[in-house]
Amino acid sequence: MASTGSSFALPLNPVPNSSAVCTIELNGVCKSYGDFVAVDDLSLSIKPGTIYGLLGPNGAGKTSALRMMIGIIVPDSGSISLFGEPFGHAHMDRVGYLPEERGLYRKMKVLDHLAFLAQLKGLTAPEALTRAQRWCERFELSAWTGKKVEELSKGMQQKVQFIGAILHGPDLIIMDEPFSGLDPASTVALKDVLLELAKSGKTVLLSTHRMDQAERLCTSICLINHGRLVAEGDLNQIKAKHGCCNIQIKYDGDAHFLEETTLVQSFNDYGNYVEVRLAPGADAQEVLRLASAGARISKFELMEPSLEEIFIDAVSKPNA
Amino acid sequence: MRNMWLITKREYLERVRTRSFLVLTLLLPAIMTVAMLLPAKFATIGERAQHVVVVTSSPQFGETIRQRLLFTSTVTDDEDEAGPEASATRPKPDKQYIIDVDSNPTDAERAILREKVMSRAIDSYIWLTDDAIATGKVTWAGRDVAGFGARSRLSEKLNRILLYTRLSKNGFPADQADLMLKPIKIEAVGIEGGREAKDKTEAKFLQVLVMVMLLYMTVLLYGISVMRSVLQEKSSRILEVLLSSATSTELMAGKLLGVGAVGLTQILVWTVMAGAVALPSLAMQAALSEFQIPPVVLAAFAVFFLMGYLLYSTIYAAIGAISTTEQEGQQLQLFVVIPLVLSVFMLLPVVKTPDASAVVWISMIPFFAPLLMYARIVVQTPPVWQIALSLFLLIATIAGILILCARIYRIGILVYGKRPTLPEILKWIKYAKA
Repeated sequence: MASTGSSFALPLNPVPNSSAVCTIELNGVCKSYGDFVAVDDLSLSIKPGTIYGLLGPNGAGKTSALRMMIGIIVPDSGSISLFGEPFGHAHMDRVGYLPEERGLYRKMKVLDHLAFLAQLKGLTAPEALTRAQRWCERFELSAWTGKKVEELSKGMQQKVQFIGAILHGPDLIIMDEPFSGLDPASTVALKDVLLELAKSGKTVLLSTHRMDQAERLCTSICLINHGRLVAEGDLNQIKAKHGCCNIQIKYDGDAHFLEETTLVQSFNDYGNYVEVRLAPGADAQEVLRLASAGARISKFELMEPSLEEIFIDAVSKPNA
Repeated sequence: MRNMWLITKREYLERVRTRSFLVLTLLLPAIMTVAMLLPAKFATIGERAQHVVVVTSSPQFGETIRQRLLFTSTVTDDEDEAGPEASATRPKPDKQYIIDVDSNPTDAERAILREKVMSRAIDSYIWLTDDAIATGKVTWAGRDVAGFGARSRLSEKLNRILLYTRLSKNGFPADQADLMLKPIKIEAVGIEGGREAKDKTEAKFLQVLVMVMLLYMTVLLYGISVMRSVLQEKSSRILEVLLSSATSTELMAGKLLGVGAVGLTQILVWTVMAGAVALPSLAMQAALSEFQIPPVVLAAFAVFFLMGYLLYSTIYAAIGAISTTEQEGQQLQLFVVIPLVLSVFMLLPVVKTPDASAVVWISMIPFFAPLLMYARIVVQTPPVWQIALSLFLLIATIAGILILCARIYRIGILVYGKRPTLPEILKWIKYAKA
């Protein structure tokens, strides 16, 4: 059953509603392969209309977590619910999945392939074909719809696969490293579509190890490391919790202020500017005063901690 | 179910639309035709008429012998089937011989004849002088007289001719002598269902043989293609996308049916082609009517062929699921070939004693049933419960392997690299229990 009413043209009125049931909820999910623990007691919940980032370094258990969400593997313990109901294969028609390992039938024609994928998700053949055609137009693949997949470049194949994941108008879109291997223009096109989808009330779950990408796109995140949850929730809240403790300073002159250990915990000189990490409890204004006493300041900027820093910070804590 | 059909359709169309399918479908019958016609052609090339010289004491007797040799039939000859009237009304000269008469029974002539044989002017001569007949020692001398069939045929003919001449010399009327000497053919008759029936051993053997050939060919051709397609799907990594839409059992079943249907299509095309070529020929029709296949056997053929095909394809699919490369898969093919070869080995005892208890139980084993149970049905229809039980076991085995293999398949995609060990496979099956 395809989600009814989800047409190609995405309505732009924001639907999200804080009281709505979570699109997906994981509760104490564990998965191990033999002795290796891939996912350890993972809990998270994703609300409709959000772009949610599942972040972590390589081998953190992201892909295992995603595979459990679409039922390719079954958790050893814990529960997964989709659209407010316990996980079931019947939900799969409302989910679109782009795996990290891309793969298409090489000998199939692009349009036929897309139609096949959409039909598996419950669309009728004519409906699948018209939608495939329109999405191909949007991703500038119109000239290639009659070609075999193997004749396409890798980037184009990836666009085809992306279309395959969203063609049936899923309510939940799960993408494993969606941007890897795309050129800048395609990255923008793909990002725009994801934003549109989220605005129209769909839920987008991205898994990536590129924290900077997630930082720009996601409203909520889940950081995992070695299969364990490090931080989860609204991105702004997570950032606020970790406080604002970095300053970027561009100066000319005396650099003695950097050695004031009561104020500066550490600093990183990038040549054009230094990035200063404040000591706990230090006031940024104190640093500015001290610095301006001996040097000409051309730039002084309080910086939000990057996700990367939050992650490194969290992971390096002994109890994390 | 819908997903399974979508996958079946895709698999089917992808294969049928390829050029190689078209080429194989059209080319194989051509190759087969050539392969079948050529040996026959060669056989007839080698089989030219034998040039025989009959040496007698008198030209009249020589001529009589010549006529008799050309027009006397033997038991093994087909003309006898048409009845004495037929051969009387339209006598056909024996095409195997060109016979000359020589009424100069001297040693010098014999030496000349020997020379002629050596120089290949003639093939052989028969020393049939009155003396020779009186002593009962007739010589047939030639370059190539060792052929058993040819010798027994010629000696049978000569014996009859000489008996005839003896009888007529002793005043027996010619027609009575002929009648007395008419060979008697012994017809083997089997008793089936309380009635005498013409023995159809040959026809039955052929029915079983066709099954063996067809099963072998399709299993090896299309089973491998199932295996290859499973492997391809694993290496193309599309599996993960499909698994987010369909269950692995749906995928597996769809693939089997799709590839299976391709094989059946091809066989159907070939059957139609063979029928179109063979049916108009009268000879073939006569052969068919002799082989009259009962409808039960025809139905059993269809059912057991399909089951066997499905079973072995499923095993191939399982092999594909646990292998990572085609070479590995080919090594594991043993699991398909061994049961097939074993059932061919057991075919003879089964046909000989179709109701021995060991045979009954062996023919129930799903891996042997397609060939052996079918062979039993052909030879002597077993009780219905036995057929039903063997079919049930077959279907259960196919379903069981399919489900196991779908599990292996699902977990197998997560593991690339070396082939899993048996304990690992068992673990996968456990992991994939849902």
